[in-house]
Amino acid sequence: MSQLNNAFTLFLSLLVEAMPFLLIGVLFSGLLLLFVDEERLIASLPKNPFLGAVIGSCAGFFFPVCECGNVPVSRRLLLQGAPVSVSIGFLLAAPTINPIVIWSTWVAFRDQPEIVVLRVLFSLGIAIIIGWVFSVQKDLRPLLQQTVTRSMVIPREQTVKPSPQQEPEPALLQSGTFLLGQPGTPLRMDAAVLQASLAATPARKPWSDRWRLFLDNTVQELRELGAVLIIGSAIAATIQVAVPREIILSLGSGPVTSILAMMLLAAVVSICSTVDSFFALAFASTFTSGSLLAFLVFGPMIDIKAIGLMFSVFKARTIFYLFALAAQLTFLLTLMVNLHLS
Amino acid sequence: MIKKQRLLLPILDIITLGIWGILLIQYWVSGELQLLIHPNYFALVLGTGILLLVLAVLKAIQVISQLPPRNPKTMPMMQHISWFPPGWSTGLLLATAILGLLVEPKVFTSQIAIQRGVMESLTATRTQPQSFRSLSKPEARSLIEWIRTLSVYPEPDEYAGQAVNVKGFVVYPQNLSSNYLLVTRFVITCCAADAYPVSLPVKLPESRNAYKPDTWIQVKGTMMTETLQDKRQLVIDASEIETVPEPDNPYYY
Repeated sequence: MSQLNNAFTLFLSLLVEAMPFLLIGVLFSGLLLLFVDEERLIASLPKNPFLGAVIGSCAGFFFPVCECGNVPVSRRLLLQGAPVSVSIGFLLAAPTINPIVIWSTWVAFRDQPEIVVLRVLFSLGIAIIIGWVFSVQKDLRPLLQQTVTRSMVIPREQTVKPSPQQEPEPALLQSGTFLLGQPGTPLRMDAAVLQASLAATPARKPWSDRWRLFLDNTVQELRELGAVLIIGSAIAATIQVAVPREIILSLGSGPVTSILAMMLLAAVVSICSTVDSFFALAFASTFTSGSLLAFLVFGPMIDIKAIGLMFSVFKARTIFYLFALAAQLTFLLTLMVNLHLS
Repeated sequence: MIKKQRLLLPILDIITLGIWGILLIQYWVSGELQLLIHPNYFALVLGTGILLLVLAVLKAIQVISQLPPRNPKTMPMMQHISWFPPGWSTGLLLATAILGLLVEPKVFTSQIAIQRGVMESLTATRTQPQSFRSLSKPEARSLIEWIRTLSVYPEPDEYAGQAVNVKGFVVYPQNLSSNYLLVTRFVITCCAADAYPVSLPVKLPESRNAYKPDTWIQVKGTMMTETLQDKRQLVIDASEIETVPEPDNPYYY
């Protein structure tokens, strides 16, 4: 009984600490989605693959979203014709490289500033490398889901000729569910289009609608992410109380096993990047710094929750490539930390 | 029927937001917040509680003002990708908040201290020392100040003979004879999830049976060096032990 009570106290403390950051993240992302003009932003993106990857990876600073928010945004980037390197760089780095996440990591790891610095550097590095690698594939369409390729804007400077079935069709000839709301512009009711319309609509909407959208977005994100957070915290609290310390210690002190364990945990727990540092903190006393970093770097890039979201954009093959590359790079970099820095 | 269902979820949302707001504010009012997180973040939690209440009110106003069904023109302009079936996430949040209101957070006990490795902290603290003040009077040092002093200058002989007066709760060390106990306190750097124990061994003139685990004690005595479990350690040679009530704020920060 007292074990249960201890676990519950731990669980609550994780939640109480994470809630403010979750709320800030949600509010911030809502505000920016309403007030930033994405089209103009995309028009000014560089075409050079490496530069593009760098810019895309750093763009998270202006879209402080966690991994639940970055998939829709990077999908919008792809749809609106942003370079591949930018979109992939953004997809992988945005959940980590943004002011809220950096701040919450700093709050959690004030005692070990090297974790904060390395988290930023590793995430940036991995995102840039993968973005660069993917930019070799000039035409991304074979890697994307059909629903996405259909509504994609074909980049002007691309020499690839659109194949017949990819020529723009009138909206009503496409399959799917539609809403005939505004005259002449049927709304297609599938996630890709709804997501994409999010950023496009507000600018032309009256203020009352914008605020309503903002409020809806806030409540919805809070509800969804809050629930994920609760599950994550419950797992963390249970592990802390229930799993015998010897097992955690033996797993957590090996330079290789600790990294693998934390990467697996990151993928399974799917905790939001705005709050994952508090989660990692719970393991700070028993796990190697490299493994904590692996958790903090790998988790925001790929986890089970994000894979669900990513399937709405990419084909399975693409997700596997992303997964494998990110996992290997994270493993190598954090192993380096374990072997040489600590 | 359809209308009812359409109303149910938003109303659940409003209740959930409201209860979470109340929960966070209630933790602050009752002081239980200090059992959960570091005081640095009290304002943040309070602000979040207030904001959540404001959101609940705004959402309520919105739902009430939309009671007559609106035309499809203003139908969903966006949709969040859901990971849960509708209503589940709200239910989870709501249940957690209600449990939070019902169940009081608990002060950690010796059990957790042992699980988190109270013996390891004898020689090495987990964190790097955050502050170091050399107090002229050793008897004015608190337990955490002793530990911080030790981690800066770990030679136990340096402190032998100094007067000690510290407060903490009792933990029975697993591998020491029955006239030893550990005077222990938890330190929180961020939230209770990262609380870690710090302790000093106390050598009693008699058996420790008079002081059960988790009793709060005030220990007076002098420092001496002993070899415990093959490690030379600083040990409090207790001259006077007094049972004291648990302090309002049991944790160090």
